[in-house]
Amino acid sequence: MSATAEQDHTAGTSVLDQVGDNIIHHVSNSSLDHPLIHLPHFFGIDLSVTKHVLMLWVVAILLACAVIIPIRRYMQKEKAIPSGWMNALELIVKFFRDSIIKPNIGSKYSETWAPLILTLFFFILFANGIGLLPFFDILGAVNRFAFHIPASDNHNFINNLLHGSVTATGNFNVTAGLAVITFFAIIIAGTRAHGFIHHWKNLVPTGLPWPVYIILIPIEIIGMFVRPFALTMRLAANMTGGHIAVLAILSFMAIFAEMFNSTAIGLSLALFSIPMAIAISGLEIIVVLVQAYVFTLLSAVFIGMAINVHH
Amino acid sequence: MTENKDDYLTRSFQYFQKIIKESGPAASASYTLIGGVLIMGLLGYFMDDWLGTKPWLLLTGLFLGLFTGFYELAKTVWRK
Repeated sequence: MSATAEQDHTAGTSVLDQVGDNIIHHVSNSSLDHPLIHLPHFFGIDLSVTKHVLMLWVVAILLACAVIIPIRRYMQKEKAIPSGWMNALELIVKFFRDSIIKPNIGSKYSETWAPLILTLFFFILFANGIGLLPFFDILGAVNRFAFHIPASDNHNFINNLLHGSVTATGNFNVTAGLAVITFFAIIIAGTRAHGFIHHWKNLVPTGLPWPVYIILIPIEIIGMFVRPFALTMRLAANMTGGHIAVLAILSFMAIFAEMFNSTAIGLSLALFSIPMAIAISGLEIIVVLVQAYVFTLLSAVFIGMAINVHH
Repeated sequence: MTENKDDYLTRSFQYFQKIIKESGPAASASYTLIGGVLIMGLLGYFMDDWLGTKPWLLLTGLFLGLFTGFYELAKTVWRK
């Protein structure tokens, strides 16, 4: 809970005033006022580590342990039969190669762009999926009830970990970073396939009367920026939306309990709130998969559009 | 994944895959439509603040964004 929300809590203002702050606090990054690791300013930018940066590191380590190391180990082996986890990984990689990368990018350049597409997919999938696991909350509960550390203790590391959301891909800056990779990948793909000047010529169709180009060229240039922007918005909005829905539905219990001044009504609303929250969490599992898939699919489509130009 | 087509799970997975593949461009176009208006509108708004030409760049930006959005939409619709 943010400092103001905590003050409100002690002052005893209504639940409705706190619910909004609480939800926003749960889906946004932890503030730079109390970062997890203090780092110096660099060109006027505070480089201190916040929750989402930490989560990116956690995702990177998880990815290394779950994907990179097993694949490396498998490649070094003599026998060519994958088993267990490696089998599942091979299925995913094969699926991506055969039904996304080859149809969109073409078999000539599929080997070049498959690593980027697969890296994007696995990274987004893990970063999305980790947002569904409440392990920091469990850590916080252990901290509170087993070690008896109060919530107001700002110097406790685990208490600091409880600020902010776990889903790094729910942050527009993270998804913008990923979309910038796609943006440059599109340009590099076009340049490699057609040469630098020809790539920019390919952006607009040929053989049109010249007044059309006056309108078309600015529009294509804007479109070039809008596509990664749409990728950014879609992923971040989808990742934030589900969490807000779950929290809002769970907040109904507190809101109704206060509205009717009765704990019983609040508790009976749990019969509605908890199944709904579970259902939305189930939906979130699909959203996590689909959004990781859609981001990579569209990246592949855009890269393919730069390579296979047909007007 | 074509070796055992009769497998129920494989078939439903393939169907799911097909739906996503077909809905991908549509989902992309809808976001581009909003994204174009938003990005160009914001750019126009801040350029207005910077240059002091109050409503004009914002209006131009919104218009251009709308146009781009519809152009991208048309491109996805008439791609095949």
